[in-house]
Amino acid sequence: MNARRSKPVRTIVLYVAVLAFAVLFIYPFLIQIATSFKTDPDAANNPLSLVPNPVTAQVWQRIFGQSGSSAVPVSTWVKNSVVITLVVTAGRVFLDSLAGYALSRLQFRGRKAVFAGVLAVMAVPGVALLIPKFLMVNYLGIYDTYAAMILPLVVDAAGVFIMKQFFDSVPVSIEEAARMDGASIFRTFWSVVLPMAKPALITLTILSFQGSWNEFSHFLVVTRGTTEHQTLITGLASLISGGEGASTQYPLKLGVALVTTIPVALLFFALQRYFIRGANDGGVKG
Amino acid sequence: MARIDDQRPVEDVVSPAGARSTQAASASAGTPTGQPGVPGAARVRARGGIRGREGIAGWVFVTPMIVVLGLFLVIPIGMALWVSFTNWQGSTNPFAIGNGTDVVGLKNYTDLFARDGLTRDNFMQSIGNTFYYVLLVVPLQTILALGLALLVNSTRLKGRGFFRTAFYFPSVTSSIAIATVFLFLFSNTGVVNAFLGYFGVDGPQWFNDSRGLLHLAFNAVGVDDPGWAQGQILGRSLWDWLSGPSVAMFVIIFLVIWTTSGTFMLMFIAALQDLPVDVDEAAALDGTTGWQKLRYVTLPMIKPALFLVITLGLIGTWQVFDQIYVMGKGKPAGTTLSPAYLSYQQSFGNFHYGSGAAMAFVVFVIIIVLTRVQRYVLTDKDERKPLFGRGGRK
Amino acid sequence: MRARTTRGAAVLALAATGALVLSACGGGGFSGGSNNAPQSSAKGPVKLTVMIGSSGDAETAAVKKATEAWAKKSGNTVEVIAASDLGQQLGQAFASTTPPDVFYTDASKVGTFAKAGNLYPYGDQVKDANFLPALVQAFTYNDKFYCAPKDYSTLALEINTDLWKKAGLTDADIPKDWASLEAVAKKLTSGKVTGLVIGNDINRSGAFIKQAGGWVVSPDGKTMTANSAPAKQGLAEVQKMMKDGVLKFSSDTSPATGWGGEALGKGVAAMTIEGNWISGAKKDFPNLKYKVAELPAGPAGKGTLLFSNCWGIAAKSQHQVAAVDLVKSLITTDQQMAFADAFGVMPSTQEGAKAFAQKYPESQPFVAGGQYAQGPVNLPGFDDVMSKFNSELATLGKGGNPDAWLEELQKNGTAAMAG
Repeated sequence: MNARRSKPVRTIVLYVAVLAFAVLFIYPFLIQIATSFKTDPDAANNPLSLVPNPVTAQVWQRIFGQSGSSAVPVSTWVKNSVVITLVVTAGRVFLDSLAGYALSRLQFRGRKAVFAGVLAVMAVPGVALLIPKFLMVNYLGIYDTYAAMILPLVVDAAGVFIMKQFFDSVPVSIEEAARMDGASIFRTFWSVVLPMAKPALITLTILSFQGSWNEFSHFLVVTRGTTEHQTLITGLASLISGGEGASTQYPLKLGVALVTTIPVALLFFALQRYFIRGANDGGVKG
Repeated sequence: MARIDDQRPVEDVVSPAGARSTQAASASAGTPTGQPGVPGAARVRARGGIRGREGIAGWVFVTPMIVVLGLFLVIPIGMALWVSFTNWQGSTNPFAIGNGTDVVGLKNYTDLFARDGLTRDNFMQSIGNTFYYVLLVVPLQTILALGLALLVNSTRLKGRGFFRTAFYFPSVTSSIAIATVFLFLFSNTGVVNAFLGYFGVDGPQWFNDSRGLLHLAFNAVGVDDPGWAQGQILGRSLWDWLSGPSVAMFVIIFLVIWTTSGTFMLMFIAALQDLPVDVDEAAALDGTTGWQKLRYVTLPMIKPALFLVITLGLIGTWQVFDQIYVMGKGKPAGTTLSPAYLSYQQSFGNFHYGSGAAMAFVVFVIIIVLTRVQRYVLTDKDERKPLFGRGGRK
Repeated sequence: MRARTTRGAAVLALAATGALVLSACGGGGFSGGSNNAPQSSAKGPVKLTVMIGSSGDAETAAVKKATEAWAKKSGNTVEVIAASDLGQQLGQAFASTTPPDVFYTDASKVGTFAKAGNLYPYGDQVKDANFLPALVQAFTYNDKFYCAPKDYSTLALEINTDLWKKAGLTDADIPKDWASLEAVAKKLTSGKVTGLVIGNDINRSGAFIKQAGGWVVSPDGKTMTANSAPAKQGLAEVQKMMKDGVLKFSSDTSPATGWGGEALGKGVAAMTIEGNWISGAKKDFPNLKYKVAELPAGPAGKGTLLFSNCWGIAAKSQHQVAAVDLVKSLITTDQQMAFADAFGVMPSTQEGAKAFAQKYPESQPFVAGGQYAQGPVNLPGFDDVMSKFNSELATLGKGGNPDAWLEELQKNGTAAMAG
């Protein structure tokens, strides 16, 4: 630390800048929480205020209360989101690491072509995939089913790539030892290599969880949009689309948005380190 | 996380269009003994008597991935390509020609560029919107991300973890949830207008205002739909092309920058932290000001990360969909239309699946071309590879 | 990665081959083209799905009750689904093999759905219900009457009685033509109150076009008439009143309002043009007192717009016979009056409309409007065309040239009709 550079003015400027940005980034979430406890007129008249007046848990009662409210069937949404996210995350972690390991370690004919295929798939922008996915899902006759929501997501090229890169960096010696001992390839993979891959696996788990929990456009095109298959995200989207400009029931909408944010937020605060690693590894879809 | 002595061509640091940094993955995966470059030797040893078994195991391991990716990504792209050459309306079998579906050749594609009509108008408007959108979002989010990274990386700052978390958190949440918050913030009587009200500024009706920024600027100097701007380019008058992003589009621009800067900030932080400290010291000793140091020392050394951020930014901005869907679906007056959303609407709203598929492929090609051009422009002259064609390892 | 491009090409070749192979295997989940004979699969009890775009719990409950009554009588089952975004959900459902059997179809969507082969035309099976002629026309496309209208609403003039009295006006002053409308609006415009506030798209301004004797398309739906003299005259009238300051679009009021009813309730409008749903404004503005009158006549006589949904039956439905039976039970006068009681829509048959007028005399202007109303443009591919026109029309408050917009509408509409 060069003593010459620690001018107090610069430090003050630094803090002012950082705090200003912090306010910019945190305030919307604070407002979101505060508004979910406001009444509709209060939200419309005092949007800036972080203190509800009067404080009311109306919105939360509606969300968590009796499922009589047909407009906000949060329990169905939560159920779908949870089930799909768990299945997709488990699937991705297992299948991606399987494929990544094979691409990294196992010699098989056509390996280079398969890996090139993975890279090519990663290069396809998502926008080009909505109609194709819709076509295939209809072709297979699984439109508007859980299969259509889960199967296409259960393996992702980016995850495979991350795992392959990771396995590339692991020295072969330990595996070699296991194989010399006669362990089958799968056993070597499962009992020897995977445990060593814990950090990458955690990163992959987080990316998969986040990706499938927050997924929107895929579910939009493969389901009919009826409540039965709505997730928290598609449900929230149906709640808010069409209401630009006019002030309508914002506390409710923000409350539901909060519910969609909380699980990922909790995971985030608990496992920040891995999120950050994940962002560097795989790039979060912006 | 490129090191300054990394002599490998940028190609290897930034993989094609998908752009994940290879060393970043392996190095940050946390293995203490990981060393890139070693596995090559190891692989030779692994071959041998167990090759046959490996072959089968390899295929078995890879099959689920091939099935899922092939079935739901690769083949569907072929199907969509086929549909883009037909006039499929959704209720018949797109693969049974003559029974309601006809092959129309390149008509869907030429309609987008050559046939005077609403399809072309809307498509061109969406392209125009996206140009301004990209022009604003990519630089702004890159600069903001870099700025935040520099701030958070500063050694003088206490509580860096807290700030880093605060800036990154929006990236973790769902785009739909964020859109909900922004719908509230920018509503006519919302937070932003209330805030502007404190300064006596009458905030616009953000979501209903279709006036473009450039048009407003022109109007301020008294120019409005002048004679010199009446020429038509691809069906739109020059004046229309020069509209600039609309007020409503600005909300989406703010939203996207606010959300993605955090992710890119992390990439910059990782790059900054990789910089050796002695270069810093040398620069300080030489008496360089902060600004000079930034321009001449830091920036060149984090070029790979800069590159990555810009590439990801380009790819992302051309695909904006979720936000458009819940924040107006193109209103007001089509000024928030994006090609991705238009493709969706053309297919699922108007039942012109062929036209929608054609749009999607055109955007696909645009993205690929742009990322190639961008790579060409930003690499050092001596490391440049041909614009198209094979760019392999040296 | 040396041979990346060759490998990439190989991948693409694989994709193409795969797609061709699959296409050779037939459509799998896709069904074939539609046929015109009614389909009826099983002999036993069937399950029908009904998808509606509900205005609220009252409507959903009413539809459920009606369909359950039929189900019990016929021994079948009916599932009612309230869609959150009917247009989008129907669009996607049509491409699957199992769209809902019965669904709300807005009049403006009939052509689009019909052309894409999604609707089963059963209109002649229900013709004897004696629907209003304007409704039959609204749901006829390409000379086929596609579906049974389930209800309708028309536009009328709503007047804030407090402001009316304050300006010294009486019942005798209710405008009967454009001149008196202008005069009355001028009297009512003062301070923050604008005499007449209407919505900013064709669904309100179009009434003036109809009153001038024109419309966007010809009555047979085969030619565009957007740039005809009556159309221009209608919009010119709107622009004239706007320039005089006695008419504003709801998006231009200050504070801006979402629709005419809100403008009326908030006191920034003395009069508005809205449909039956204006009764919803009473919920948000309980102190609002208003009176409903028929719209004034234009140079060519009285004119208003009507909006309606019909019971569409899917072309792909496996139970079309049962579906028609269900629809027949839903359009009886008794059932339509039950709907009217529940959520305020007007029955679509002549008999039903008469019963409604008797029971709800204050809605008489709405009912009367049904005799001279114009339905929305129902041609395929016009969503984009009309929305482009609407976005231009919405800027009328800031100046602009309605004639040019009508010419553009003419051009775009003609192109849409051709392709």
